Amino acid sequence: MYRSWLERDLKMWAAQGLIDAKTATVLLNEYDSRPSAFSVGRVLLIISALLFAAAVLLLVAANWEAIPRLVRLAGIIGVIWAAYFGGGALLARGAERLAAAFLVLGALSFGGAIALVGQMYHLSGDALQAALVWFGGTVAAAVLFRSGAVTVVAGFLAFVVSGTDWTQSYAADQMLLLWLMPLMAVIVIALARYTGAGRARHLGYLLLVAWLAFIYSEYSTATTAIAIVVFGAVAYLAAALPQSPLHAIARSAGSAPAFYAYLVLMLGLVVLHVEFDAVGERLAVGIVTLGAAIAGIALSGKENGAVRYLGYVAFAAETLYLASETIGSIIGTSGFFLVSGLVVAAIAWAVIALERRLASNEDKVEA
Amino acid sequence: MTRTRSFRLSPLVAALIVAVLQTAVIGYMVESRASILRNGADIRLKTSPVDPRDLLRGDYVILSYPISTIPSSIVAGDIPEDGTRARLSVRLKPDADGLWNATEARFEDMAPEEGSVILRTLPFIINTYGAGVLADTLFVQYGIERYYVPEGEGRALENARNAQELDVEARVSSDGTPQIARLLLRGEPVYDEPLY
Repeated sequence: MYRSWLERDLKMWAAQGLIDAKTATVLLNEYDSRPSAFSVGRVLLIISALLFAAAVLLLVAANWEAIPRLVRLAGIIGVIWAAYFGGGALLARGAERLAAAFLVLGALSFGGAIALVGQMYHLSGDALQAALVWFGGTVAAAVLFRSGAVTVVAGFLAFVVSGTDWTQSYAADQMLLLWLMPLMAVIVIALARYTGAGRARHLGYLLLVAWLAFIYSEYSTATTAIAIVVFGAVAYLAAALPQSPLHAIARSAGSAPAFYAYLVLMLGLVVLHVEFDAVGERLAVGIVTLGAAIAGIALSGKENGAVRYLGYVAFAAETLYLASETIGSIIGTSGFFLVSGLVVAAIAWAVIALERRLASNEDKVEA
Repeated sequence: MTRTRSFRLSPLVAALIVAVLQTAVIGYMVESRASILRNGADIRLKTSPVDPRDLLRGDYVILSYPISTIPSSIVAGDIPEDGTRARLSVRLKPDADGLWNATEARFEDMAPEEGSVILRTLPFIINTYGAGVLADTLFVQYGIERYYVPEGEGRALENARNAQELDVEARVSSDGTPQIARLLLRGEPVYDEPLY
């Protein structure tokens, strides 16, 4: 995404004579040479690793009886060893992209081996334990190889663990996921920081959001929803307020911590709208939501585009919701659409004015 | 985020550690089952029909046993709180035909007894209907409810199971975990399970 924007901008600047065409090419080449840059080849490599892994897993699913059990076992363990040593040898030579594909293949084959053993030896039950073991083995591989690609696999496996049927497990009790999900999220985020796999940390944050949803599904009360709102608000303020001691750490992780905390706050407010029936309560929630939207735009609007846009969306949705609840029944459908149109136009005008002001502020700072 | 890698294990050392670690995990899975088959106590269980009848999913047959339904009349001792998850210990004794049946069950550990084998169920949610009493029948699982078969062979086993002609021989570890040792069709062994 960024690359296509960059390419377009560079072309435009070259056409306007701001830079010469040669500089544009050099700049683009520099970007492409970064290891984190998106490249078609790299993506295709990972896809081919996934296809190989799928082949291994399908071999398992087919339960190929023609091959004796021990040979099948040795075969899949051989795939694991070959993948890790292939990846290791490629890393040693500096071929990071191809190595990443091998390591992903290794991590997925480990899961295939667990499934194969479970099936060949009729080990029914304990899918949770199997998923946890897979996650653990993948985390170990990500740490030891310091591999961003394997970190992404671990991030997805954290969701697999959370989604497995824990009624099929010997070890699980009902509180297990309550502490396991945040623990896995912390592990994934720490791994993402350690391996430099910046994007993988979103999986960790999303897992935390899913965890709160899980808590609410277990204890569906207004109190839980209020607790989630308060938690989201506190976490957001801790990440976004410059006075907060956590501000520096949160900023070092980019705009994500503040955004996800803000997302939790907003999701909590959405749930509260459902929990509260009385008019007064709903009005109170509506005012809190509008306040939270404005606070988000005011506090992090300048530095955090994601929070700003979520704030806009929340503000617009809440305004329309309040309009439909209050005057909607009085003025009829067509009248309501008219009012909605006016409201949206007013918000759009405010947003455009705000965006322009933010942009000119940035110019002033730079000048 | 900077791209400098301040510390990293030599990739081949990392490969060795990861490969050995993961192989050990797989080996442990295989061996934990093999050791139960080697040393576990023998029991023989009748299988029960499963409804709906077409439960052949992928390549495994779903097995159900008379001991999968525990009448609450044989449950002794304290009952856990409503809504919690618990495991039941079930004492099995053989009948005249050599088939093992549940004679006693408890939510606490049970003392071993000559001529009996204790099985532990998978955890399940206790429902006492807010009245502190169990339902008349408890439906439990032991982790031996699935048997993978070669493609296309599941149907015959299913029919036999539904005609009540299928028996299962299992071995039980001292902590109450069972593993399937072999399947018997009308008394004849059909799938003998080697250790490895």
